[in-house]
Amino acid sequence: MIDRLDLIVIGAGPAGLSAAIASARCGLRVLVLDEFPRPGGRLLGQLHQEPDGFWWNGIKEAQQLVRQASENSVDIRTGVSVTALEQIGQTGWKIWTNRGPFSAKHVLIATGAAESACPLPGWTLPGVMSIGAAQVMTNVQRVRVGNRGVVVGMNVLSMAIVSELRLAGIELAAIVLPPKNPLNVRASDPGDVLRSLLRFAHLAPNALFRFGASFLGNSLMQRMALKLYPRRGIRMWNTPLQLRRSAVEIVGGSCVEGVRIADIDSEGVPIPGTERLIEADFVCIAGGLYPLAELAAVAGCPFRYAPELGGHVPAHDESMRTPLQGLYVAGNITGVESAKVAIAQGQVAGLSIAIDSGVPDSPTETELQTAMHRVKQMRRDALIQFDPDITACRNRMYGTNDAIG
Amino acid sequence: MGNTPFIVCRCEEVTLEQIIEVIERYHCSSRETKLRTRAGMGICGGRTCRPLIDRLTGQMDAEKAAYSLPLKVQPPVRPISFGEWGRGS
Repeated sequence: MIDRLDLIVIGAGPAGLSAAIASARCGLRVLVLDEFPRPGGRLLGQLHQEPDGFWWNGIKEAQQLVRQASENSVDIRTGVSVTALEQIGQTGWKIWTNRGPFSAKHVLIATGAAESACPLPGWTLPGVMSIGAAQVMTNVQRVRVGNRGVVVGMNVLSMAIVSELRLAGIELAAIVLPPKNPLNVRASDPGDVLRSLLRFAHLAPNALFRFGASFLGNSLMQRMALKLYPRRGIRMWNTPLQLRRSAVEIVGGSCVEGVRIADIDSEGVPIPGTERLIEADFVCIAGGLYPLAELAAVAGCPFRYAPELGGHVPAHDESMRTPLQGLYVAGNITGVESAKVAIAQGQVAGLSIAIDSGVPDSPTETELQTAMHRVKQMRRDALIQFDPDITACRNRMYGTNDAIG
Repeated sequence: MGNTPFIVCRCEEVTLEQIIEVIERYHCSSRETKLRTRAGMGICGGRTCRPLIDRLTGQMDAEKAAYSLPLKVQPPVRPISFGEWGRGS
């Protein structure tokens, strides 16, 4: 057992590691717990080229954070699942795990986000996986997920992972919408999906960009865009993005054998007589992300509901403090955004915790302000805005404004 | 199309049709839906189907969602053996 910890960080992703580094640099004794066998969180799956040509390799970014953490005597333990936490009077927090209990004065919950399902008939067959699982198998475990796949669901995350699967040489027969049902109302609406795709057409290969650029900014034009969108799809990374087709059912006996798809009208309703079967041996379901906040709920933290941030998020302020003494949050648990924003939020949390600890090397309020400022900058410069209204939503939540000096 | 039954809560094997029927008959909240159908009460603690149940009961509408999660989260939030669970207390 470790004596006299100042801080336990739950989650060794970009937010958790950067918070651990920032607070350890101020002299705090920090333990980081993560249930995955390797530290890095969602960074481990990320691999993409930025518009300036730089290749963002999440595995390297994670290694760098882990090295900095080790240099500052942060103890990182992987394969540890936190099952509960409890506030113990004014003295701090007790954490329960599958490796016994731990105690510390401060706790940072940086558990990130979980994938949302978009269920359809056949989705429980072996060979169906979330698209994030396909990403981890491909980029982290280096396992080939299958020979020919179909992706169900179009959003920022699925487009990014499709490009990674293609880089790994995995064949994808098609990307289609989920079927219209009470669980997939917005994700199955071709107009809604097209509007969200156009927001990041600047990142997409030429074909979608050329198509999208001419329709940006004008809602009448956007309605036309759907009518003009080719039925067979636009090819991205040599995979047809079929905005006017949806999956009807995943078929197979003991495992996935294919996906039955149909042409759809502008409301997402299948057009009778257009059904056909696409052969496939795996299917990726892409329903997007929601903040994974179970532990904040168990701790008794109040919540705020913000669809722009992906759902319910623990109440917190711009300094990453929650209303509960000694409890902090950072990263995607506070709203779904990019890893760079998560890293900047982690630095804010680490400094706040150091200030509240009253250590001799305590950061100044100015340093904290600078770190909070950097979060806004990262948010503004982010390649991908998961939602167009994130900044406005954050400003409402924190009582702040857009000003970035 | 649209009539093929399929499972929403994989742990407890509850279908979409079963959940919708209960919501329509009792006009119930997420919590009552969970108690009546067992959807969300399985080994994963509802990590997959919790947001889906909220979507079906309409509790993800901005006004209704308010300041707490519609469905209470109970520890342990990950599957754990009784032996390991007991070790912590």
